[in-house]
This record gives sequence, structure tokens and C-alpha cells, in this order.
Amino acid sequence: MTAPAEAPAAGRGIVFDNVSKFYGEVLGVNRVHLAIPPGITSLVGPNGSGKTTIMNLMTGLLRPSQGRVTVLGMSPDQPDPLFRHVGYCTQYDSFPRGMTGQEFLHAYLRVHGFDRRQSDDLTRTALEQVGMTRAADRRIAAYSKGMRQRIKLAQAVCHGPSVLVLDEPLNGLDPMAREEMIALFRGLAAQGKHVIISSHILHEVDFISDQVILLNEGYVVAEGNIRSVRGEMQKHPLQILVRCDRPAALASRVFEQDGVVEARIDAQLGGLLIKTRDADAFFLAFNRIVLDNDFKIEVVTPADEDVDAVYQYLIGGGSETA
Amino acid sequence: MAVYERTYRGYSGGLTPPRSRILVFPRYAYDEIFRSKLFLAFLVLCLVWSFGLACALYLPHNLGFIKAFQLDPQQVSDFFADLFDANFFYGWFMWPVGFMALVITIIVGPVLVTSDMRNNGLALYFSRPVTRTDYVLGKSLVLVSLLSVVTWIPGLVLFLFQCYLEGPEWMRVNYRVAVGIFVGSWIWIAVLCLISLALSAYVKWRPVARMSLLVVFFVAGGLAAVINVMFRTSWGSVINITDMIHVIWAGLFGVEPLNDTPQWVAWLSPAIFCAVCLVLLARKLRPYEVVR
Repeated sequence: MTAPAEAPAAGRGIVFDNVSKFYGEVLGVNRVHLAIPPGITSLVGPNGSGKTTIMNLMTGLLRPSQGRVTVLGMSPDQPDPLFRHVGYCTQYDSFPRGMTGQEFLHAYLRVHGFDRRQSDDLTRTALEQVGMTRAADRRIAAYSKGMRQRIKLAQAVCHGPSVLVLDEPLNGLDPMAREEMIALFRGLAAQGKHVIISSHILHEVDFISDQVILLNEGYVVAEGNIRSVRGEMQKHPLQILVRCDRPAALASRVFEQDGVVEARIDAQLGGLLIKTRDADAFFLAFNRIVLDNDFKIEVVTPADEDVDAVYQYLIGGGSETA
Repeated sequence: MAVYERTYRGYSGGLTPPRSRILVFPRYAYDEIFRSKLFLAFLVLCLVWSFGLACALYLPHNLGFIKAFQLDPQQVSDFFADLFDANFFYGWFMWPVGFMALVITIIVGPVLVTSDMRNNGLALYFSRPVTRTDYVLGKSLVLVSLLSVVTWIPGLVLFLFQCYLEGPEWMRVNYRVAVGIFVGSWIWIAVLCLISLALSAYVKWRPVARMSLLVVFFVAGGLAAVINVMFRTSWGSVINITDMIHVIWAGLFGVEPLNDTPQWVAWLSPAIFCAVCLVLLARKLRPYEVVR
């Protein structure tokens, strides 16, 4: 038996320092600077934007053409120490022929260097985590798409990594399974682990992510907490939806305020949609207007402070990137 | 933004030695290979050949058998002591088992890598503490073990059996037989492994990968013969890998070679083949294929 690799120091994170990757003349990603902290980080972007390239770079499956990547202070080109602490779930459904789910996990834990008994224990734990205990002895070939997705997740988490890199992990899962997986990701993130997810489903990204990285054509177009990203976008006024008893009267009052560029009654949203360039000043003024005029307010909520809106502003397209 | 405190503890126990982990690869490959009863039958046939040779070595030493044919035991002993020499092992053991090893490679070789390549399965392997060298070694172990079972292992058993029957003097005179069987088999195994893995990495469809192996080993032989005839030379044989291996074997056994190709050329030819295969594997065995 050999000693395991030194445990990574907390707080080093995943760092991309001026990283570019070219496939011949085709741009993968260009001049990427990132520092990914613990928690759930989502990579969002259209097909070919560089999400999988970023994931492959941080797992050492691709080498950068330029720049440097470090994961918890380790270089990704050393698979032995790296994959002690990193679990990767690729987007491909690829499994050795004839194996059961249990055999699959057990075999790859042996490749990680765990002995038979440890592999048995870790296999059982991982199967429980993804809710596959009952199907563990069935051949993977007979699994449904959702079950294959779960077993792929299990192989990524089974060795207890500090960094989880999950390429479209929620694809093929039914709503209940999605909920379970999201709870699993949150649980792992709550332990201080890095959970990196790429997803096409923007409302889910918004729901689960601590921070997002928006990619387009190989460039990082935005990075960070979605609200702070939205706050930085001066070009697009913040939209606020207000539902109240006298929307027309409220519209006339708020339109007098500095920074408010539009106030209109939106039938589709069922309320007053206000656009402002200075959200902080608006909310201060809004409180005063409501109190002075005795409006009865039902809802005040940002209408475009989510990933979907930011995505549309920065990249364009519909609510799904597929 | 949420702030997470690190509350988990990573695994801190012992791990198995890195090199032993590659043994996981062959374990599951055997399952798939031995699912074919035809292959199993062929493997047994390969062993039957060696068993037959063992019987041939033994029977001249069996008095009952000699008497059954009303022969003089001394004459029989002298005759077979001369017969069972390096030429016998070269011609009756190395040639047939070398061909059997080639057939096994054609059957098993493409099974090992093509499915991983076709299904984007390499990312699955390389997102573990596994290097490309480990992957090639792990996959090669399948072929190496199967080919060893039909080549040098029964070969050395036959050699030791003959030494036991004939005595230490025969062993002293024919020690090159053991060297030839062991070194010659390993050279052939290395060449077969590397060529089959390299071709399988490029040709993702198993039947085509098998055809490609046939082309390398048989069509190249035919082409070599055509070159030799057209240019009245024997240098065409350098592209016939099987001929070169036979020349190397002949050198190791100390017997007359097939043709007059110098030994250094015979050694250089498979060395170049192997080097090219390693370059091809290094280029192709990547977790993500770069499409230009």
C-alpha cells in the first residue's frame, strides 16, 4: 500500500491564468482568467462556447495552448495526485460492455487505488447517494438514460473528491431525480467542495448556482454571482415587476424619478414593469412613493435578475441554449 | 454569494501500488473475450499442439511404446536425441505457435481499444489516476497474457521436459533453444501487441481493424515477395514483419534463416514498426479527439 497524495489546501480553488486552447486553427477558449471558489459554479453558454473545453482543461484531459491551470494548487497534467481530489462526469454515455452498475463503480475504485474492502464500502455509499442501490446488480446496458446518468454521477463522487466536474449532469433525469441530484450537489457544496456544472437548462442553473460563468465563442463574457453580474450591466436597465392596486398611478409617480427609463403595464406579467438604471436609488424612492400615496403592494420582484435574462442580454437566444 | 466552510475530510488511508491498478483493465476484458466459445476452442487447440509436441518428446523414451513397434531402444534414443534439437523447436514449435499467436491477436487485439475509441470511452479512463502509458500497458496485458500462454510458457515447459528426458548434456548443447523461445516469443508478442493496438486506435470498427491486421501481416508479405522478384533482391522482405521475425528467431536458435537478410536489419525492421506504432498510439490515444 502507498500513502495517498497530500490533501489539498483549502482555499486554493481552481485557477485559470490567461488560458487559451486552440484546436489547430479553431478557437476553444481564449484568454480565460478564472478563480473558482468552493460551492456550485455553473458554466453556461451555447454549443461550442467552450464549456467542455474548460472542464477538460481543469481535469487535464486537454492541455492549454497557452497559460496555466491549477486545481487546488495542483497541475492537471499529473493524473495521479489530481484525480485523488477530482471527480469528472463526462457528457458521454460510455461504459465497459457487460458490467453491472456495482461492478463498474467497484472496478474504477480499484483503479483509484482502493483495496477490495474499501472499494466495496465506497461503492455502496455512492450507490446510495445517487439512489441506485436497487439497480446495482443489473447490467448498465439495461439501464434507462436517467439511470445511466446517475451511475455516471456515482462514479464521479464515489472516491470522495474535493472537486466535482460534471458535464451536463442533469440531462436525462426526471424531475424527481433532478431534485435529488440538486440536493446532492448542494450537500457536497455545503461541505466546502467545488462543484462545477455545465447545463443547458438556465432556470435550474439560476436555482442551484452560487456563481455562474457565462461563455460565448470561447470567451468568458461574465463571471460571478448572478446578481452582481446583472448589476454590472449598465447598458441594460434593471427591470422590476410591481403588482399593486393602482398600477397606472404608480407608473406616473415612479416615472418622475431619476434613473427610471420606462414604466409600463405589462399584461403578460400582470403588473407594472419598471426599468431603471439606478436600482438602489429607485428602491429608496419607491418606498417613499408607496408610503406617501398609500399604494397596496402585492409583489415587488426583479424581472430580469436571473441567468436567463443575463444570458439573453450577453449572448442572446431563448431560455435554453441547446 | 454563499461562503462554504470546509467540513469534509478527504480519504487518508493507504492505497494500492500504482502499477498494480492497471490489472483492473484486463480483468474485465477477459470476461468479454471468453464469452466467445469459438475463441476458447481455438485457445485450447493452441495448447493441444504443445501437448502433442510433449507427447512426441516423451514417446521415444517410453519403453513400452518402443517395444510395441519392436525397435531397438538405443537406436531410437540416439535418433531422437539428434532430431529434437534447435531446428525441431524452431520449425515445429516457434513457427506454428507464432502463427497461432497472430490469429489470437487478430481476434482479440481489436476488441481492446476500438470500443473505447468509438464510444468516447477514453475520457472515462483518463479521468482516473491513469496515464496513457498505464492504459496501453493495461490493455496490452490482455494480449500479453493470452499470447504467453500459447508461446513461451509451453515452449519453456517443453524445453525443460526435454532436458529432463535427455539429461544435462542435451541442455548444455541446446541452451539457445530456451533463449530463442523466451526472447523470440517476447519480441513477437511486443510486435503483435503494438501493431494491433495502434491499428485498433485508428480503425474504430472491429471487422475493419481485423482486416487491417491481416493487411499488415499478409498483404505486406505478398508485396515484399513482389519487390524481391521484380528487383531481384531480398531487401523487400524488410516490410514483411513475419519474415523479419523468423530471421530473428533463426538467429536466436542458431539455425539457418529463411533468407539472407542480415540480423541487424531483421532486428531494426520490427524496432521501427514498434516505434511507429508507439508514435501512432501517442497521437491517437487522447481523451478528446481534436477535429480539425
